[in-house]
Amino acid sequence: MTFAERMLRIDRRIIFLVIGLCTLFPLLFPVGLPIRISSEVRGVFDYIDNLPEGSVFLLSLDFDPASKPELYPQAIAILRHAFHKNVRVIAMTLWVSGTGLADSIVSQTAKEAGKENGKDYVFLGWSPGGSAVILNMGQDLYTAFPADYGGKATKGMPVLAGVQNLRDVTYAVSLGAGNPGVEAWYVFGKDKYKFELGGGCTGVMAPGLYPLLRSGQINGLIGGLRGAAEYETLIGQKGKAVAGMDAQSATHLAIIVLVAICNVFYFTMRRQQRRQERMGS
Amino acid sequence: MELSFEVMLGGWIATGLTLFILSFLYEDNPLFKLAEHLYVGVSLGYTIVKTYDTVVMTLILRPILEKGEWSLLVPVVIGTLMLTRYVPKAAWLSRYAFAFIVGVGAGLAIPRTISSFILKQIEDTVRPLLTLVPGEGVTFTYSLLNPASNLNGIIILIGVVSVLFYFFFSVEHSGPGKMVARAGIVFLMISFGAAFGYTVMARMSLLIGRLTDLIEFSDASYGRPTLWLSLLTIGTLIWLSRRSGAHPPER
Amino acid sequence: MIALRRQLPLLITMVTGLVMAGQYYVPHPASEQLLTTVTKWLQIIGGFALVLGITSLFHVHAAKIRRKEAGWGYSLMLYAGMLGTIVVGLWNGGKESIDGAMTSFGWVYSYTLVPLQGTMFAILAFFIASAAYRSFRARSREAAVLLIAAVIVMMGRVPLGEYLLPISGDLSSWILNVLNASVRRAILIGVSLGAVALSFKIIFGVERSYLGGGKE
Repeated sequence: MTFAERMLRIDRRIIFLVIGLCTLFPLLFPVGLPIRISSEVRGVFDYIDNLPEGSVFLLSLDFDPASKPELYPQAIAILRHAFHKNVRVIAMTLWVSGTGLADSIVSQTAKEAGKENGKDYVFLGWSPGGSAVILNMGQDLYTAFPADYGGKATKGMPVLAGVQNLRDVTYAVSLGAGNPGVEAWYVFGKDKYKFELGGGCTGVMAPGLYPLLRSGQINGLIGGLRGAAEYETLIGQKGKAVAGMDAQSATHLAIIVLVAICNVFYFTMRRQQRRQERMGS
Repeated sequence: MELSFEVMLGGWIATGLTLFILSFLYEDNPLFKLAEHLYVGVSLGYTIVKTYDTVVMTLILRPILEKGEWSLLVPVVIGTLMLTRYVPKAAWLSRYAFAFIVGVGAGLAIPRTISSFILKQIEDTVRPLLTLVPGEGVTFTYSLLNPASNLNGIIILIGVVSVLFYFFFSVEHSGPGKMVARAGIVFLMISFGAAFGYTVMARMSLLIGRLTDLIEFSDASYGRPTLWLSLLTIGTLIWLSRRSGAHPPER
Repeated sequence: MIALRRQLPLLITMVTGLVMAGQYYVPHPASEQLLTTVTKWLQIIGGFALVLGITSLFHVHAAKIRRKEAGWGYSLMLYAGMLGTIVVGLWNGGKESIDGAMTSFGWVYSYTLVPLQGTMFAILAFFIASAAYRSFRARSREAAVLLIAAVIVMMGRVPLGEYLLPISGDLSSWILNVLNASVRRAILIGVSLGAVALSFKIIFGVERSYLGGGKE
């Protein structure tokens, strides 16, 4: 076996170790490289930034702990921004196993901003049915969510004054890790009820949402940890996403180097094989 | 800062479970299996509790008992019919439930999918090739950096058409058709490359998230669970691999 | 009997499908009321669907424990985790927090489910790295294009990449917004056409596999 062949069949645990260390070191010793803001993230930021006080902002936290590192910082940054702008916040989730996370995110940011439950914001909790919930909210918010997460009747809550259904929502953002997520909010929500919609998603999903972004069906897109880091930079409150960007840089570079090495060995091996074949013939 | 006992205990449990799952990277082992099964169990238990609280209490019982919304018994009956799938003799009854759900689902989806994903997407693809700017007349914008420029509009049109051609016309491509199909392949490869890049980004972010938590739990205020439990996990892995070396599994 | 077991379900699908599709185009109050009622029903039925999904897992592990199959102890662990969570959950009325204070159910969620699920998916990072090293090779011209696009996007989406290769930021943005968007758009249109065709096949009884369950 040649050196190149041996290197291509290296124990995968060595690669695991390299990746582990490339992630760990920048987290322990951060550098803090500057983050450039993309127009996709700015779309969501600008819209929230220009919302008049008291307008209705709906945030659907459609993810579970599997995507926490990407979408948790997005949710925190968006809510901090929305609370800072004094808009009325309606938060909810369509993912059952994300309920606990959504609850902690909403209560943490509301507490930081000194907001009152029921008056400045409401957390509706989770409801089954996915797209049916969006449609039902579009028809009548109070039939979809007769009570909020804590069990209080939604009808008559000061935060929901004048809100009957999704038509009364000024801006909605879905932070989606799959289905139901951003696409479902467009198809079953915005298509009929005509509120403005923004999206946030995991890195895996982001490339698939660009057609909706280009056609204006969503007015902005926050993609993965990078998107969250951009949003944190925009609101001037650096959090977990910005802290993770150095590690993200290091791991990307590590993967690129690994791919380059793999190709060098591959071409070396191919050249050797061709030479042997030529000598054989 | 003094942490409460629950938070400290939570830190130890979370660290232990994280390390047990990570131990799979060395090899499949009982610690991983234990954590994996606990994950499924807790996840099931959690879903059951939330379903009970949200569906049974909030969506069904309270509206019926407090507001007399008896019509809600209809979906309860349909839902119950669905569960007959597990009773062999009555399983055919579940067909009524599925017939309703699938029928309604298909009916709701057809017009909305056509409107959102077919018409709106085609509309944005078939854009004017030139723009009429008041005062300047007809212009053609070349900027690649502006996704809405006329040049990019043409590129998007070529991309959409060539990829659709490649997918839909599965006959042998020859002549000009071959050129269009090849362009489709190049577009596809670039898009797959971008998707791969983003997938790498997403997966690495998840690892960053977990390692950030492990670093947090290595703090003295928690009693450094990351350190002690890492040693314990590594020790157990060594012990397990020695034991399996001494007693090779029967084939 | 066959009519009851086979024809009637097909009729239900056809009628509900056509009515709900037609509803979209009829903005009459009665039509809107129908949409409200039916989506409310679907919401509740969604809860039952969750139960249906869970039940099959129950059966698999209960059988393992009963027959004392290899690894039945782990299935026992699964049941213990599940029952423990249910007891704690019901004790706290199904709430992770009450007035902002974390309950013991919230504690179970935050310190077991969150790290377990998070780490389960985090280990994929290692496998994608290993897969990239082993199989991401420029074997053909197409593979080389894919590889170059991936490298540009990986560089352009992190600060270090943009610092080392400043053009990568703009280039990856162009790839995502224009080239990638056009491909995803074509796929979206294609998949949607397929989904609409399938929905019509379901409504008109051509596609029947969803009925399953039980003898004719």
